Amino acid sequence: MSQQTNVNDALIARITAYISSKLPQATGLRLDGVERIAVGWSHETWLFDAVWEEAGAVRRQGMCLRRDPGNALLRHLSDLGEQYRVLQALENTPLAAPKVYWFERDTAILDAPFLVMEKVPGSCPNPWGREGRAFYQAAADRGVLPQSFTHTLATLHTLDWRAAGLEFLGVPAAGTEFARREIAKWRELIALSEHPPEPILTDLIGWLEANAPSSSRVTLVHGAYRTGNLLIHDDRISAVLDWELQVLGDPMYDVAYVLSDLNREGTPLLSNLVDRDAFYRDYEAATGFTIDDEICRYYNALYAMRSVAFWMSASGLYAAGRSQDIRLARTRWSVPVVLDRAARELGY
Amino acid sequence: MSPDELLRRIAQTLKQEIGPAVLEAYPKTQAFMASVVLEKLARQIELAPAHAVAERSEVAALESDLNAFFANDAPAGVAAAIAGLASAPNSVGLDAVVAALYAARNELGTERFEQALGRVRQTLRAGVDRQMVYAA
Repeated sequence: MSQQTNVNDALIARITAYISSKLPQATGLRLDGVERIAVGWSHETWLFDAVWEEAGAVRRQGMCLRRDPGNALLRHLSDLGEQYRVLQALENTPLAAPKVYWFERDTAILDAPFLVMEKVPGSCPNPWGREGRAFYQAAADRGVLPQSFTHTLATLHTLDWRAAGLEFLGVPAAGTEFARREIAKWRELIALSEHPPEPILTDLIGWLEANAPSSSRVTLVHGAYRTGNLLIHDDRISAVLDWELQVLGDPMYDVAYVLSDLNREGTPLLSNLVDRDAFYRDYEAATGFTIDDEICRYYNALYAMRSVAFWMSASGLYAAGRSQDIRLARTRWSVPVVLDRAARELGY
Repeated sequence: MSPDELLRRIAQTLKQEIGPAVLEAYPKTQAFMASVVLEKLARQIELAPAHAVAERSEVAALESDLNAFFANDAPAGVAAAIAGLASAPNSVGLDAVVAALYAARNELGTERFEQALGRVRQTLRAGVDRQMVYAA
């Protein structure tokens, strides 16, 4: 038996004990099909079915546990406590999102903060792999999932975030504050990465600061709305996942991400799934918003800055010995790739 | 065997022998990713001497062009950054020049700012093109 297996067995026993403590009526609780999934850059993700007896009946509930080992790519900008509050707030909205059960900041329980949420039925094909691309192409041909993709984004952008209690995310003032807040956030992450100076990045940031767009509309913004972060069941979006980058701000920030070349490979379909014209038509009809191409181009450049910040942070975590995940070391070579893209955004 | 050849050999072993033999998904991914890292590192090491020569040459040409462009009339911060290229003919020196140009943007006026930055961008493009040979 490998050392890793021993570690996992010990962790599973502690998770079992924790969930048992949260379900005092349950007897004989066990975890079935425990699986650590190798996705995401921030938190460990564990999927399992909790099975127990209660009032003479066997109960089974799919669960997802996310644990923050303290070496998240987003560092202090990714907080499971905030994710918990966001998912709680979304529970009473029309947006499809996982129901969240518990959050614990106490590291005595599982050595790190963690949250437990519902395992929503569905799958999340990787849009970068051959199988995933084929899956999304077939779904695009059927036409149902692309509409669900667009309508789910429209639901996200039109939900009443004040009524949902999401003001704690911070409400930007009208004007350039939203863009400036994002620039400041990613500057901070870049500084923490202790990466050597990159002149193209300095050029990009100078340009972004000089051209920050004014926006007055404030909605919930997911921050990473694309296939791969959306759970799919019966050809529809069954849950929006990956609540790490959400903010209140300009909905065009999400729209720009959907339109971005970053999220499709070898296909004109947005996010490997949605016809561009159909997206414009359906999104504008569902939200009443007009897509502003110029602002989306600006946000696309801002995403280049954000990507550089991600990869600098990731490779910095590996270089500093804070993570053993070799995928993070690999991102050292993602920095010039994104800088090349950024330079092209700036016209050179 | 040169260092880059050695790294390529190890990468090949990881990809063709170690990775396929690992059953658990997470460590299997790690083995394949390690092979990718070593391949990229090998290429970077192989190209490093030629790239360093090209960078020094291009930065020297940039310094000369910027000095001619400003003709002793550069704002103090810009002048200092250009002078710094002699001792830091690399991304550190270039970064200082870009930052100084943006800081002096109002003083320079739009036309001079864009002309000077445009010249710096030629050098930056050449640099990132070199990096893309091993990074992409």
